[in-house]
Amino acid sequence: MRVKAHTAEIRRALFAVLTTFCILGCRSGSDDTVSSDEMVYYGTTSRIRGFDPVKAGDVASSIAASKVYEGLFQYAYLDRPYHVEPLLAESLPSVSEDGLTYTFTVRKGIYFQDDPCFVETDGKGRELVAEDFVYAIKRISDLKNESTGYWVFNDRIVGLDEFREASGSEDPTDYTVAIEGLSALDRYTLQLKLKRPYPQLLWILTMHYAFAVPREAVEYYGDEFLNHPVGTGPYILKTWRRNYRIEFVRNPKWVETGRVELYPGSTDPADGDAGLLADIGHPLPFIDRIVQRVVDDPSTQWLMFLQGEIESSGISRDNWDVVITDGNNLTGELKERGIRLLKAVTLDLYYIGFNMDDPIVGASDDPDADARHKKLRQALTCAFNTAEWIRFHNDRITRPTGPVPPGVAGYADKDPMFPFDLARARQLLRDAGYPDGQDPATGRRLILTLELGSAQSPEFRQSTELFASFMNELGVVIEASYNNWPTFLGKMDRRQAQMYRLGWVADYPDAENFLQLFYGPNSSPGPNHSNYVNPDFDALYEKARIMQDGPERTELYARMADIVIDDCPWIFTATPLSYGLHHAWIRNYKHHDFPYGMIKYYRIDMDRRKKEDTQ
Amino acid sequence: MSTQMDNVSAESRSLWGDAWRRLRKNRLALWCLVVVVIYTVTAFYGEVQYRYYQFKDEQPSYQRPDLDSQYLAPSLTRVLKGEDRAGRSVVKELLRHPCGTDGLGRDVLARLVQGTRIAFLVGIVTSIIAIPIGVILGCLAGYFGGKVDDFIVWLYTTMASIPGLLFILAIAMVVGQGLLGVYLGIGLTTWVGLCRLIRGEVIKHKSSTYVTAARALGLGHARIIFRHILPNVFHIVIVTFTIRFPQAISTEVFLSFLGIGVQGEPSWGIMISNSRLRLWQGVWWEMTFVTIAIFLVVLAFNLLGDALRDALDPRLREAG
Repeated sequence: MRVKAHTAEIRRALFAVLTTFCILGCRSGSDDTVSSDEMVYYGTTSRIRGFDPVKAGDVASSIAASKVYEGLFQYAYLDRPYHVEPLLAESLPSVSEDGLTYTFTVRKGIYFQDDPCFVETDGKGRELVAEDFVYAIKRISDLKNESTGYWVFNDRIVGLDEFREASGSEDPTDYTVAIEGLSALDRYTLQLKLKRPYPQLLWILTMHYAFAVPREAVEYYGDEFLNHPVGTGPYILKTWRRNYRIEFVRNPKWVETGRVELYPGSTDPADGDAGLLADIGHPLPFIDRIVQRVVDDPSTQWLMFLQGEIESSGISRDNWDVVITDGNNLTGELKERGIRLLKAVTLDLYYIGFNMDDPIVGASDDPDADARHKKLRQALTCAFNTAEWIRFHNDRITRPTGPVPPGVAGYADKDPMFPFDLARARQLLRDAGYPDGQDPATGRRLILTLELGSAQSPEFRQSTELFASFMNELGVVIEASYNNWPTFLGKMDRRQAQMYRLGWVADYPDAENFLQLFYGPNSSPGPNHSNYVNPDFDALYEKARIMQDGPERTELYARMADIVIDDCPWIFTATPLSYGLHHAWIRNYKHHDFPYGMIKYYRIDMDRRKKEDTQ
Repeated sequence: MSTQMDNVSAESRSLWGDAWRRLRKNRLALWCLVVVVIYTVTAFYGEVQYRYYQFKDEQPSYQRPDLDSQYLAPSLTRVLKGEDRAGRSVVKELLRHPCGTDGLGRDVLARLVQGTRIAFLVGIVTSIIAIPIGVILGCLAGYFGGKVDDFIVWLYTTMASIPGLLFILAIAMVVGQGLLGVYLGIGLTTWVGLCRLIRGEVIKHKSSTYVTAARALGLGHARIIFRHILPNVFHIVIVTFTIRFPQAISTEVFLSFLGIGVQGEPSWGIMISNSRLRLWQGVWWEMTFVTIAIFLVVLAFNLLGDALRDALDPRLREAG
C-alpha cells in the first residue's frame, strides 16, 4: 500500500492549541454518554475516506472498515511468523493438485448486523452466504467503482478481467453474469479458479478487498454506502463525523445469534511473559465501545496520551528525548505510571526513487549513457549518509539493505552494496561525467529535482533538507519541489518526476509484494513509479510469483533483490522501527504489521484505569 | 484672509519637507523609522548573502545541517568536554549562536536574517503588484465616473466579497507552491482598499479649481490624472504602503506556516512551524526570536504608518 513518506500529517496546525483545549474538555462532554462500567477504548485515527472496502485504499480507512467487515481468513493474532487462519471460512480451502482451483466452505450461522437495508427480513440481518464473496470480488473488479484494489485480482481469476472490461460500458454493471473462475457452488461453497498459481491468495483473502459485503446494503444506500457499513464483524458503526470523530459499538448480532470467537492460545513462551495469554478461551471482543478522534497534530496527540485520553501513542522524533533514555528504555516518570514501551521492526520501506524515464538519471538506449546514468545513481546512493539519517530520526529507523525488508523470506542480512562512502561516491560521480558535481552542459553544479508529496510536516521538511545536504557534499544540488498529495500522485502517474520520495507499507508478508514494485509491466500508473524495466528481473519475477513458498523461491527473491540493488532505481532510506507506548490498563496488545481488525483482542483493565484516573 | 496667508506661507515649504518636519517631532515615529531602517539593512544584507552563495554555486551556510549542534540554547560559548557533573575540567568553545540553533543544528540568527529578506521581498513585490492596480483603477474610476466607475466598483466589490485567504490558496494551487504563488496571491487580492481610497479622493479633486483650470487649458485626460491629480493624492499611497507592508508579511508567515508558502528557504513561517514541535520541551528560542522579529516589524510599520498619515494629511498642515 502506497503511503506518504512521513508519519505525521499536520493539516489543521493553526488550531492545534484550540483543539487541545476542546479535546481535553470533551471526554466527559456530551459526546460520550457511556455508563461507567462500559469498557471504552479511546484512540486516534487519521482522516478516513469511508467504510466501503472497495475504496479503502489507505491504512486508516482499511483499519476502520475491518472493525465492521470480515473476510474469509485472518492473521493468527499471536503467531509469528505470520500465517492465516479461517475466520468466515470453515477451514483452510481445499486446493486442486495443479494449484489452480480453490474451494472454500463458508461458516454457517454467521449473520450480518441488523440494518434497514434488509427490507425482506424487516431490517433483521440475514445469514452470510458464499454469494456475498462473489459479489464483493465483482465489486472490486467493477470499473465504475474506481477501486484502488483491483491489482490483487488482476490477471489472476478466470473470466474476471473480461467482467471488468465489460463493466466499463455505459450501462449499469450486470452483477448476475456468471464468471467461470468465481462462483458459489451452493449456499456455503465458494470456488475460485485461477489462471496460474497464486501463492499469495490466502493473504489477499484477509485483506479488506475481499471482505463480505451484502448486496442489499450497496443497492439500498447507493453512493451513501460509503457512510453506512453493514458487516458481520465484531463492531458496528455508531456515529461518524467526518474528519472529527468515529464511534463503534459492539455488534449485538453476535450475542443474538450465538456467535462465539475465542481468544487464541500461543505456543511461544514469550507471549506468556508479556501477559498475552491471560485471556485464552475468553469470548471476543472485550471492548464494548471504541471512540476515535482525528487528531492531526502530533504534539496534541502526545498531550492527550499523557493525560490518559487515548490508550496508545507513537513517539515522534521531537518527543524522543523526553521519553526514551540512552539505553532505549522509558524514562522513570512514564515507567512509574506503568506505561509500556513496545518495539518492533515494521514491514515498511521508505525510499527516494529515480524515474528511469528521465534523461539524466534514468535508463537510456545508448549503452554508454545508460552505464553513466547508472553510475550517477550509484554515486548518489553512496553519498547517502546512513548514520546521520538514523541520528536525525533518533534511532527510530534502520537502513534497509535492499528492496526486501527484514522479517520476510528473501531478506538478506548482508553489508549494503553501496554504503556511505564519499570518496567512492565522488569517483562514481566523476565516472558518470560530473566531476565534483559540475554539469558539463551548464558549467554549474548538477541540479536534480526531488518531488515531494506535502510540505506540511516539519519533520518531513527538515529531513528533506538533510537529504539535500548529503547530496550537496557531492556537489549535486537537490531542488525540493513540494506538491499537494493529488498533484504528486498525478506527476508519478504521468512519469514527470525526476526523483521522488515515497514509502511502501506491506500488504502481506511476502517479498513479492515489494519486488512487484520493480516489475516492468507494473510501471506508472502502476505501483512501479520508478518505471524500472530490467528483462532479467522481469523473467525472474514471472518465475517466482507463481511458485509456492520454499527455499528455491527465496533464492530467486534474493537474486532479484541483488539486481535491483545494483541498478539503484531507489535509494533505500529507512525501515522504521515501531515504538508504541501503551498505558498500563491496555491488555493483550501485540504489535502486528497488519493490524486490521485486531482491536477485538484488546482488553482494558477497568480497575487499573479508574485507579489512574483518581490519582 | 488670514488663513489664505497661512496657506501661502506653508506652500513655500514643499509638501514632503513639511511632512518630514512634522514627523521629526514625533519621537515614537522616529524610533519606528529607525527600526524599519535596521530591518531594511538586514534584509539587504540577507539578499547580498543569498546572491553571493548563488554566484559561488554553494550551499548557503544557513542551510547546512550540523547534527552535532542540534537545539543549542542561545549562547555565545559551549562546553566542549563538559560532563561537569562528573567534575571534569570544562573546555569551552566559541559558538556564534546568540539565538540558538534549530533542529538541524543551523544558526537561528542567520536564518532570521534570511527570513527578513523573504519578508521584505514579499512586502515589496506584492506592493509592486497591488499598488499600481489600485492606483490606476482608482484614478480611472474616480476621474471618469459613469460606466467606467460602475465597472470598477463592481470589480472590486466582487474581489472583496471573495474571502481573501481562499483566493490566495487558489492562486497558490494554480501557480504552484513557492514564492511566486505568495507574490501573486497577496498582490492580486490586496489592492481593493487602496483603490477605494484613491477613487474617493480623485472624485473630490476632480471638481477642484486646478482640475477645472487644467481642463480649460485643453490638457488630455491622462495628463490631468497622472500629472495633476495623482501627486495630490500620493500621500495615500505612501500611507497604504506602510500599512499593507506588515500585513503582507504576516500573510506570508502563515502561508509558509501552513506549508503553502516559501519552500526550501528559511522563512519566518517555516521557522515557527519547525519550532512548534519542541516548544513544550523548553526549546523556546527559535519560536521566541521569530515572534519578536515579526512583532517588531509589524509594530514599527504600523506606528510609522499612523504617524505618516498625520504628517502627510494636507488638512493638518496649518497646525505645522
